[in-house]
Amino acid sequence: MSIKFKLIRLLKRLLPHFDPFIIFQSAVSLFFFIFLLILPLSSIVLRAFLYKGSFSLYWFQSILTNKYFLSLSPKGGKLFEIYGDTLYVWGLDYGIILNSLIIALTVATLCSILGIVTAYIMAKYEFPGKTVLRIGLNIPMLATPFVNAYVLSKLFHPKRGIINVLLYDILHILPYRVDVNGFAGIILAQTLSYFPIVYLNVLSSIISIDPSLEEQAENLGAKGFTLFRKIILPLSLPGIMAGFTVTFIFSMEDLGAPIGFIGYSGNPLAKKVMSYYIFQSFSEALRGQISPETATLSIILLILSLSGFMLIKKYVSLRTYATISKGSRWSSKVKKPRRIGLLLILAFIIPLVIFASLPQVGVFILAFTDWVTSGIFPSKLTFEYVNQLLTPSVRTAMFNSLTYSILAVLIAVFIGSNASYVVSRVKSSIANILDILSTIPISIPGIVLAVGFFLFFTSYFRGTVLDPLVDPSILLILAYSIRRLPFAARSIFAGLQQVHISLEEAAMNLGANRLHTFIRIVLPLISINIFGGAILTFVYSMSEVSTSVTLGSLRGDRGPITFYISQVVYGSVVVGAVSVGAALCVLLILLQVIAISISNYLLKQRFSIFGM
Amino acid sequence: MINVTKKFGSVVAVDHVTLNVNHGEFFTILGPSGCGKTTTLRVIAGLETPDSGRIFFDDEDVTDYPPYMRESGMVFQNYALWPHMNVYENVAFGLKIRKVSKDEIKRRVKEILELVKLEGLEDRYPHQLSGGQQQRVALARALIIQPKVLLLDEPLSNLDAKLRVEMREELKMLQRKLKITTIYVTHDQEEAMVISDRMAIMNEGRILQIATPREIYMKPRNLFVASFMGKSTIIYGKVVNKLRKYVEVECKNFRIKGVTPYEDLKVNVGDKVACIFRPEFFKLKEESDEVNSFDGIVESFSFIGSIQEVYLRVGSARFIFEVDSSFNLNIGSKLRIYIPYEKTVVLPV
Repeated sequence: MSIKFKLIRLLKRLLPHFDPFIIFQSAVSLFFFIFLLILPLSSIVLRAFLYKGSFSLYWFQSILTNKYFLSLSPKGGKLFEIYGDTLYVWGLDYGIILNSLIIALTVATLCSILGIVTAYIMAKYEFPGKTVLRIGLNIPMLATPFVNAYVLSKLFHPKRGIINVLLYDILHILPYRVDVNGFAGIILAQTLSYFPIVYLNVLSSIISIDPSLEEQAENLGAKGFTLFRKIILPLSLPGIMAGFTVTFIFSMEDLGAPIGFIGYSGNPLAKKVMSYYIFQSFSEALRGQISPETATLSIILLILSLSGFMLIKKYVSLRTYATISKGSRWSSKVKKPRRIGLLLILAFIIPLVIFASLPQVGVFILAFTDWVTSGIFPSKLTFEYVNQLLTPSVRTAMFNSLTYSILAVLIAVFIGSNASYVVSRVKSSIANILDILSTIPISIPGIVLAVGFFLFFTSYFRGTVLDPLVDPSILLILAYSIRRLPFAARSIFAGLQQVHISLEEAAMNLGANRLHTFIRIVLPLISINIFGGAILTFVYSMSEVSTSVTLGSLRGDRGPITFYISQVVYGSVVVGAVSVGAALCVLLILLQVIAISISNYLLKQRFSIFGM
Repeated sequence: MINVTKKFGSVVAVDHVTLNVNHGEFFTILGPSGCGKTTTLRVIAGLETPDSGRIFFDDEDVTDYPPYMRESGMVFQNYALWPHMNVYENVAFGLKIRKVSKDEIKRRVKEILELVKLEGLEDRYPHQLSGGQQQRVALARALIIQPKVLLLDEPLSNLDAKLRVEMREELKMLQRKLKITTIYVTHDQEEAMVISDRMAIMNEGRILQIATPREIYMKPRNLFVASFMGKSTIIYGKVVNKLRKYVEVECKNFRIKGVTPYEDLKVNVGDKVACIFRPEFFKLKEESDEVNSFDGIVESFSFIGSIQEVYLRVGSARFIFEVDSSFNLNIGSKLRIYIPYEKTVVLPV
């Protein structure tokens, strides 16, 4: 045996699927994840555990014993307190760590209740107006960063808010003016925009239950609530778990609601959450440093959301996702409710859809009327704000967002196809690792990633193009690409599942190597999935918030649109500037509607595990 | 291929298999599903890497060659036609990869499509073709690269019964015409017998016998081969006497004389053995005979066409045999059958 053969055999033993192309794909994907995920996050760990040059729990200790971060008794805030004619619903302050946790758990619970009930109704009952309501349930999910919370706080303002004016002053239905603000405001805003995520997840679970299972239970005498509790609920547990956890993670990392509420009412209580604390420390970052407290808090936030992810890992991995997303093989049984049931259903779901869509409706009103300055009600239509989209600063932001998103899509699709190909075609530990790495970005708070990027790239790439203090553009592109990679990877993976392995084997058998096979056979066959995934990646990059408002703030002329919106909502001195932000959100909404329709049409996929 | 083993986890799919296929031969690997025959084929094509053992094409050790360097042409069970390419592009693929000139590709594709009787269908896409046509495209695609060996993985299993027989004959003629070394994998024993020059019987990852179809049928080396190939009656017993010409076997109700098919399959007095009777070797017999005659009652019979198949209850055993279709049979009637000892195969258990 020649030495060459011995070497090949040795390699084959070490790597059972020795193949230069697969190794290249694994290496490129792994490098991407290590460089953009593992090393930046490790930099935070390093910062959080180092004290005076050695490993220490000092920062954790100092944070966990500080009442500002963690307090077991409330130290401020109002929970259902009445002063004069106003009922204050703000929430109590238990220190920012507990605040975030309480908010996230409350939001996840409320979303689950609303989501499960809605999903059950939509899956099991046939009633007039169902199609309209089904479409309506998607409206709250359209991202209108910051402005949605701004609209809510405007609607609930105790004196000038339409809801209070209407229900207290005019109709006298409410005994008090209701001031929903602070944590309660955040919970309201997040619940309204996230409950459709649970709804879609549970719906897809319920619909994929074999109706014969239900019929069997009915045949044995179970009906009504027993049937729901014993059969439907347990079988849709994967969807519920995934929905609960995802809303929990989304709530904890969300910046839109706190900033939106602070922007309109200036209530300082909304500032006391982890994501906002970390966000704020980026104003110091301009001077080149991020404090160990911020790093430590980021680690705590990361641990909380990662533990959520571990809980649902088996439901959201690429391999599982592809089987779930095919949707139902059966046509689920649909009932016509009786008169009282019908009334109950409509009385629940119509107000819910209307109420949950208020932020999006408000965005349109802000953009096309003078509502922002007119007081309680808008008084006239105006295209003034839409026209302002053409001013140089807005145009720069739009140009930045477009450039970043397009480049991020290219990277995400490239890495996504390589990683998905390895995951779908190779059985090895590397494939399992890539499967996890391709899904895990969903659970990594963008704000934490931003801290990691900042620490890693300012420490080791100081003064280069990768230094965010020099120019954050490249880092924003990379951050978008890794944060939105799961959308690309999942879509591509689903496509690969449809390509029978023998199609590739036939090509290799006829003399094509892996690269040829990949380019000539695999890529053409999954082109639709690549395109669908690319579109989703694109729109979610355009609406990305966390890294945009942090890394993007480091150089004004490099900020994307979401950074621009956060600026006008949060602290613009220019009167009416919020409406320019709303006009941008209208653009974003249009973009999302078009993109998601195209993607759903191409992928012929009615549901997806994250409801997006 | 020499001493090849392939495991999937703890399952041994191919267990120390050694095969030698001659030039221009039609060689079949036959076995029940899950016996490792497809894996063996895939190891030869390079689609699976063996855990041990070597594979040679002529004198060239190809064990460590990736599939695209093996110059083998494979026809997959599901044909694996590329849905985004038409017939012409599918067939031309192997030549394009080999950077053959455009004109020559055109000429050779035309030639091969004529050979498999698909001329005029160049522009069709796979979904516009019938099962038989798809099968021909797959065959043409594999043949056009003039492979050193043609590998066929149950290519007929997706066709309906009538088409299967037609394609079988066509495949055989094509192979004889091209004189291409062919390895054919199937679980259909009739198909294997009709089509092969030689065949290997495989079970649980092992090769049990390699021989011509005739030899395998007449002289099975082992009980599995005997029972897998064709119909037979199997009676277990113990060797009581061993002579030069035959051995005598004592069974529950009777004494049987038979022969061991191979010299190396030795049986000794006292050994447990199985006696195998092929249905067509039985004769109906009136007068009494001490050995290899069986009295029984007709339990059931079925009319096959040229013959009738009869199940005869003899004590606790049930014999299957064939009689002429003109013979008058009645359920419950008594019959006596006889088989010569040369036609009785005795195998060690």
